[in-house]
Amino acid sequence: MSQPLLVVDDLHTTFRTTAGPVAAVGGVSFDLATNETIGIVGESGSGKTVLARTIMGLQPRTNVEVRGSVLLNGHQVVGASERDMRELWATDVSMVFQDPMTSLNPVMRIGRQIDETLRVRLGMDKRAARARAVELLAMVGMPSAEHRYRAYPTQLSGGMRQRVVIATALACSPKLLIADEPTTGLDVTIQAQILNLLDDLKQQLHMSVVLITHDLGVVATRTSRIIVMYAGRIVEMGATRDIFYHHRMPYTRALLESSPKVSNPPHTRLRVIPGRPPNLSTLSAGCAFAPRCESATDRCHRERPTLENAGEPGHVFACWNPVARTSSHEGDLRHG
Amino acid sequence: MADASTPLLTVRDLTVTFRSGAHVVSAVAGISFDIAEGETLGLVGESGCGKSTTGKALMKIVAPASGTIELNGVDVTRLRGRALRNARTRMQMIFQDPISSLNPRRRVRDIVAEPLDAWKSAKGNERDAIVRKLLNEVGIDPDVYGARYPREFSGGQCQRISIARSLAMRPQLLICDEVVSALDVSVQAQILNLLEELKAEYGLTLLFIAHDLAVVKNVSDRVAVMYLGKICEIGPSEVLYESPAHPYTHFLLGAALEADPDTAVRGDVLQGEPPSPLDPPSGCRFRTRCPYATERCAVEEPPLLEIAPGHRVACHFPLHGS
Repeated sequence: MSQPLLVVDDLHTTFRTTAGPVAAVGGVSFDLATNETIGIVGESGSGKTVLARTIMGLQPRTNVEVRGSVLLNGHQVVGASERDMRELWATDVSMVFQDPMTSLNPVMRIGRQIDETLRVRLGMDKRAARARAVELLAMVGMPSAEHRYRAYPTQLSGGMRQRVVIATALACSPKLLIADEPTTGLDVTIQAQILNLLDDLKQQLHMSVVLITHDLGVVATRTSRIIVMYAGRIVEMGATRDIFYHHRMPYTRALLESSPKVSNPPHTRLRVIPGRPPNLSTLSAGCAFAPRCESATDRCHRERPTLENAGEPGHVFACWNPVARTSSHEGDLRHG
Repeated sequence: MADASTPLLTVRDLTVTFRSGAHVVSAVAGISFDIAEGETLGLVGESGCGKSTTGKALMKIVAPASGTIELNGVDVTRLRGRALRNARTRMQMIFQDPISSLNPRRRVRDIVAEPLDAWKSAKGNERDAIVRKLLNEVGIDPDVYGARYPREFSGGQCQRISIARSLAMRPQLLICDEVVSALDVSVQAQILNLLEELKAEYGLTLLFIAHDLAVVKNVSDRVAVMYLGKICEIGPSEVLYESPAHPYTHFLLGAALEADPDTAVRGDVLQGEPPSPLDPPSGCRFRTRCPYATERCAVEEPPLLEIAPGHRVACHFPLHGS
């Protein structure tokens, strides 16, 4: 194994609010190999976006406390100044956000938004940057790229805007791309186009990708490993197939069973998780999922479980009363 | 028609147009369908296909340009004044954004009572009893939460309150427009199950509008697929999902992501984007993205024809059953 590209170690991101400290990310550790895609799955408020922004070094300096370590291609992100981070942004790490309209400048032609990165970060001259921007637009599948170079964001559809955002993010060939809900809000046929595009570009540019989503369908076939987050912590992590078929954490199971599936017959009653995700400022000392968990015992409410090995390589989960191990597909509840 | 009994709702040649500068956009360009009593019809399509406009036109929130909408055999497009007001109590609509569809300055119990107050159908103790029953049924404790304001609730709870309000007048038809698309997966399942329970209890008929194919399949008896203002295929859910006859339905299903690593990584992916409804293609509206399109598709608009009992498709070259 070569050195991982990204090593996150015991990362905490705490917001200081008038209601007291809120641990949005509460001790997260994982690593990511070169050219690997990892999925981060969780509901709203699970801390997945804060985690991504912390890895990017995008957290504001005031009222936020970041502890732990994020080693990105050998550089320490935690505690790095904005000047240091500027050295990493675009060339080492780039991010694609959910809403392409708010990540583009509405009064600037899209071509200029792409060559700005090229000129500032790579020191290209105007003409070379322009040529490269058109090339990038063509690479992300923008029809008549030469012509669209002069378009404004509002003249493009949501899917096309997301292609522009991806072109901007990839302008300086980053080693790591963090895609935070890159297809949420896009139509299904466009979503498939964008996800395939990200897959192709990952291979072509030899990138690593962190794919953040609430939609298990997005990560099912496009990741090698998945992290399941709940209330700011990793509750299960493992190879994609292990997460889907041999999950041990009841929350992972509940998440899978509550998603409607195209293969279900009509009027299938979905298994539901009672309640809703917890308020992070009032977390108990126990497992954050315990109040919603059917297998919760006294211990779960008192003592927080730590990540334990599930057996399969790299598969860990945090639960005192895990789901029984299944050895084959047949025992799996997804068929029930 | 496929069903022998008189449908609760019969829509014929419904069109809805909007003015955009000098242009006229047909958001809904002549659609016809029925919904039988007690049935759930799913309406799917991508953004801009006219599915929400269809729902709003049924409620007369937007005025149809032409066509008829018959509820219990009465054409509501012709109704005015008191008769229209009465007809509206039999149809209710729930919207996507649960928080903005509730008045932020009113208490939950008053929001739910609003239809009763507007129609003066119940007063005093009777009114309060109905509100309590409705809130209990949607899983909101009226004693604890009745006096609170919408801002104190999560999206899922606000959607429950919207549902309680929509049931206050005991409607026959409930139009659900993307009611779970803003909710987390775990909360989405709660709301879908709740709708199924209430449907049985209140004998409701549902028009379920959504873009998520898995969600629609889970609740619908039949599904209609819309593309650029037209219905391109309609049929029983399982038939339509297992053997789609319209190329667009085929691609739409192929693009749906199943939460299962064993599904094929890449189905056929539809290229391009929907054309502007300002200037729809001639003939078949899907032909510009359809890999099977021929000259005939550009000239002649395919009618919605029955290829199997209850399964109709608008395509000159359906994938099967022609």
